[in-house]
Amino acid sequence: MTEADAIRLAQAGDAAAFEFLYRLHGRRVYALCLRMVGNPSDAEDLMQEAFLQLFRKIGTFRGESAFSTWLHRMTVNVVLMRLRKKTLPVASLEETTEPDEETGGPRKDVGAPDLLLTGAVDRVNLERSIEKLPPGYRTVFVLHDVQGYEHNEIADIMGCSVGNSKSQLHKARTRLRDLLQEEVRQQARNDRQVAKTSTGQSD
Amino acid sequence: MQCSELELVFEQEGLAPLSAEARQHLSQCSACKHFVEDVTTIVAVAHELPAEIEPPEHVWVSIREQLVLEGTVREFSKGKQAASWWQTFGELFRNRVLATATLAAVLVVAGLSLSRTPPETPSEIQNDPYSSTVSLLSAQEHDLANMQLASTSAVDTSLRQNLQQVNDFIADCERHAKEEPSDELTREYLTNAYQQKAALLSAMMDRGGSLN
Repeated sequence: MTEADAIRLAQAGDAAAFEFLYRLHGRRVYALCLRMVGNPSDAEDLMQEAFLQLFRKIGTFRGESAFSTWLHRMTVNVVLMRLRKKTLPVASLEETTEPDEETGGPRKDVGAPDLLLTGAVDRVNLERSIEKLPPGYRTVFVLHDVQGYEHNEIADIMGCSVGNSKSQLHKARTRLRDLLQEEVRQQARNDRQVAKTSTGQSD
Repeated sequence: MQCSELELVFEQEGLAPLSAEARQHLSQCSACKHFVEDVTTIVAVAHELPAEIEPPEHVWVSIREQLVLEGTVREFSKGKQAASWWQTFGELFRNRVLATATLAAVLVVAGLSLSRTPPETPSEIQNDPYSSTVSLLSAQEHDLANMQLASTSAVDTSLRQNLQQVNDFIADCERHAKEEPSDELTREYLTNAYQQKAALLSAMMDRGGSLN
């Protein structure tokens, strides 16, 4: 069975076609939900909600966009809706660069002195930092840099312009860099503390 | 070109390909060069994260039940379900239910012991609460290797790739857990990764058939 066959059969209420579509896309949708909410139980709920919505509305699918884009759009909407309910206020898609906490002026990311992350970043601290991103940034970063979607697809999924998707991605990467640098600094502080303690030079 | 102009280029065009003017600025500005190196590193690590994760089987069971209840679909074929139920009952119990239930119990015990008493002394750290989980998963992986899925179907290939990615992630988590034994988030990632591995192995075993 091909995806197109399955969609046609599912539109006629064929149970096996629903299962085929679930098996085909479920793992990608679950990965997205899990990264967006950070806990398996919520991710399972959201995935279930997204697929139920999809199956209820499958009769209206006309193929203007790819089926996976349509499914991801539904999933992102379900997830963002849940996050909005959970934590208000939530960062919108139009998030702009936030002011620097210390100076109140615009945060300057490019061109500022910093420490290099090369060799200090792995999957664990990246996953941890992704969880700290505002939902809008997180969605674009996960869709583009983890799941491999192009900006035109992300724009379609998120209902924004291609330019906005590019801008959000740049800001997400910049914010991740800040978060990872802070994590590396914290690790260095911990290491120094441990070294001090082990040599008996406690504060 | 100034740093602020280069930032606009990054925002509108991403990292590559950069114009000659942008490349010239990078060769003269170490801060911008570091920015590009850092973001390149972040993107490279992001590409290593699994884009697909196996959801627990009960999610589909719930969706299916709800669809039938709502009348969105005709009832799922009873004949087919009954046949596969009787045919695969033995292997399901051996390969999936028993293994998953045992693993779940071990993970719960490990999780509880970790959440109650974060390891603080070296002797406690050495007493690895995940050891039984790791042994169980290794045994399953070993069995799976013996069964070896000869199939080159897209689903099997994808499952094998996912397993490799989860194994890599587990290795990262274990290293972090050794470096910072009291880091609860790393332990949570590790528990989730073991659960994902269990679900993957279970799905692969189901596809591979009985171990007889």
